[in-house]
Amino acid sequence: MTAKTPARRRARSVTRNTLTPSFINNMNSMQIASPARISSRTASTAVNDSPNPFISQSKSRNTSPVKRTVSGGIEVTHELKRQASSGVIRKGGIESRMNVVKNDYIPPPSAPETKVPRRSKSTASLRAEAQLEGDRFIPTRDIDSLAASLDRLAIQPMSSSPGHTARLAEATGINLHGRILSYHEAPPVPTDKTLQKQREAVAPLYARPGELPSSTGTVTNKSRKIPTQPERVLDAPGIVDDFYLNLISWSSQNVLAVALAENTYVWRADTGEVSHVGEAPQGSYVSSVDFSNDGAFLGVGIGTGDVELWDIESSTRLRTMTGHQAQVATLSWNGHILSSGCGDGSIWHHDVRMPRHKVMELNGHSGEVCGLKWRADGELLASGANDNVVNIWDGRVGDVAEGSRGHAKWTKRNHTAAVKALAWCPWQPSLLATGGGTNDATIHIWNSTTGARLHSLKTPSQVTSIQWCPHKKELLSTHGYPTNSLMIHAYPSLERVAEIRDAHDSRVLFSTLGPAGDVVCTGAGDENLKFWRVWELEKQKKKRAPKENNRLTSSRTGLMTIR
Amino acid sequence: MPTKQAPTRQAITLKGSTNLVTEFFKYAVNSVLFQRGVYPSDDFHMVKKYGQTVLVTQDLALENYLEKILNQVNKWLLTGSVTQLVLAVISKDTRTTLERWAFDIKLVNQEDSGAESTAPKPEAEIQAEIRNILKQIVTTVTFLPVIDEPTVFNILAYTSQSAEVPADEWVDTDPLAIEASKSQQVKLRSFSTDVHRIEAMVAYRYEG
Repeated sequence: MTAKTPARRRARSVTRNTLTPSFINNMNSMQIASPARISSRTASTAVNDSPNPFISQSKSRNTSPVKRTVSGGIEVTHELKRQASSGVIRKGGIESRMNVVKNDYIPPPSAPETKVPRRSKSTASLRAEAQLEGDRFIPTRDIDSLAASLDRLAIQPMSSSPGHTARLAEATGINLHGRILSYHEAPPVPTDKTLQKQREAVAPLYARPGELPSSTGTVTNKSRKIPTQPERVLDAPGIVDDFYLNLISWSSQNVLAVALAENTYVWRADTGEVSHVGEAPQGSYVSSVDFSNDGAFLGVGIGTGDVELWDIESSTRLRTMTGHQAQVATLSWNGHILSSGCGDGSIWHHDVRMPRHKVMELNGHSGEVCGLKWRADGELLASGANDNVVNIWDGRVGDVAEGSRGHAKWTKRNHTAAVKALAWCPWQPSLLATGGGTNDATIHIWNSTTGARLHSLKTPSQVTSIQWCPHKKELLSTHGYPTNSLMIHAYPSLERVAEIRDAHDSRVLFSTLGPAGDVVCTGAGDENLKFWRVWELEKQKKKRAPKENNRLTSSRTGLMTIR
Repeated sequence: MPTKQAPTRQAITLKGSTNLVTEFFKYAVNSVLFQRGVYPSDDFHMVKKYGQTVLVTQDLALENYLEKILNQVNKWLLTGSVTQLVLAVISKDTRTTLERWAFDIKLVNQEDSGAESTAPKPEAEIQAEIRNILKQIVTTVTFLPVIDEPTVFNILAYTSQSAEVPADEWVDTDPLAIEASKSQQVKLRSFSTDVHRIEAMVAYRYEG
């Protein structure tokens, strides 16, 4: 059992085998004291003679971590050098490629081992001590190179005077003796999986990962502070608690429009003032609002199927576009085209400049269209409906001939509930996120170019809306009963960055992102609008707006001067 | 106590001291494994030792593993052929060494210190010194970087070239060093018996 490891001897013999060819090498690379050089020269003639008694001592020296030059017919790889110097030769390694001299001179066990006298350690600094004690693997660079040349000396002990290397080793504080051993088995793995599960089962609720991390049910990422309380709460009396409607919109002019039953109001985030825009016809209600891209006009969908166009500044109705037979639950602008999704499943493009406003009809849904989003560049239009289908349409309107019809570029039927939540990714235009209703509660992320489904995420409750962050690779989703939460997911990992549970007292139905992309406004059936600063802007951007302390600063600088 | 019997003191002290040192290693290694979270904390149970409570693993596999290693260390100690023991804490995923707990083992030269003149060191004093090291291992948690990844450990024995090595059980290995530029070192307390002197040090990866 306690036999010496044979590998060590072999390593030694390897060393010996290569003495002669490497000699010249060593001569050239020698860079230490000149006495060594002289002595090596004088000893060079005796290289092939039988070793003198001193040699065994210096040969029993183990090597330093620096690799020696081994030459000969074999290409000396780094690994081979390491094996040779550490005394461990892996299977199929150097031994299989080299003529190993088996009958090497082995010092008699009784031979007294000359130890390199150790330096007193008591006063040495920590670093020096580490080197002295054989912990030479935290050396400085110059020690390292010194050791390299020292090591080359060690390869041909006859060349130097017997005690020279030992003295050298002592002087440089390198311990050439000794081996580093470890037990051949790896330590046992901490625990098996089953035990781990049992531990989790008996762990108290608060100690379980991802369960209920805090009393408020709020999870936030440690790396970033995400406020779990709304920055501002506005009262929205009479807001319709209907999943299919889209009742809030935030313009690029930092104006928020909200539809409360038959009335439409705007709230100017810069000044905090509220003004009444208009009213739906008697006996009807507003079912959707959407701001045009420049923020000057508000499209309003009415429960009767009319689509109205309002001027925000003067609070006047510019025109009413009729034709739909059912409520217009969703609107989306693209330039002068206002697209409307109707309860009968049709989507119309209205050109607001034209007397005959209906320029195209898209028929691809059999259920009520409740989600409609133009991509920012107007190339594609995504729609989701109560028939669980997501359609992506080519956005080119082209010839405005009467009755022209579009065809869906992609039709996706993966959702198992109504699709209201739709969002195009602002920083990767081909990405579309869609979220399904109660029975589905899944977020799918699509590549609109290839039509591939890239990611899917199961969420705890119905997805009512999705917003992408314009300056971070994250997306926010709002959810209905039972969590009533806002969730922030990282993209593309879809890891949960934060979850704000019970953000509203009832299901969170609507959300809209401020023009600066830092504040999200959510609306819910509890008649509140809440503003969440979930995506803090970079520091330098924040500096620009400290004067508006008491107001929401979600405005793009420069935009205010347009009008 | 055998140390008090003058005529046979020399032989017994070596053996007794070796056992004492080996036992110290067992508790030191257990303490590190517990404190640094290498193994889940509920694998450990409290044991009264050295006049204080020490946490010792009750994971059978780990117990046996340490037992095997310490048995061999004991043999090496008897022949005086081990100069250092290192407990390396390694990241499980990246395999980089995060911490190196090094215990230098030195033979106290009896002849030099005037063999007969010095009285044997009382057991209580040795235990107090050991207690101090173990306490210090606990307190290192306050300054060592937080490890938030799964880790494994490895025990390295620095032996002399002439040490008897059981073939196939112990193999030459990499020193599992931490690059000098990325490491910080803290020297811990030491303890000594009449024969051995143990000096502890921890080096840890710190890229500040």
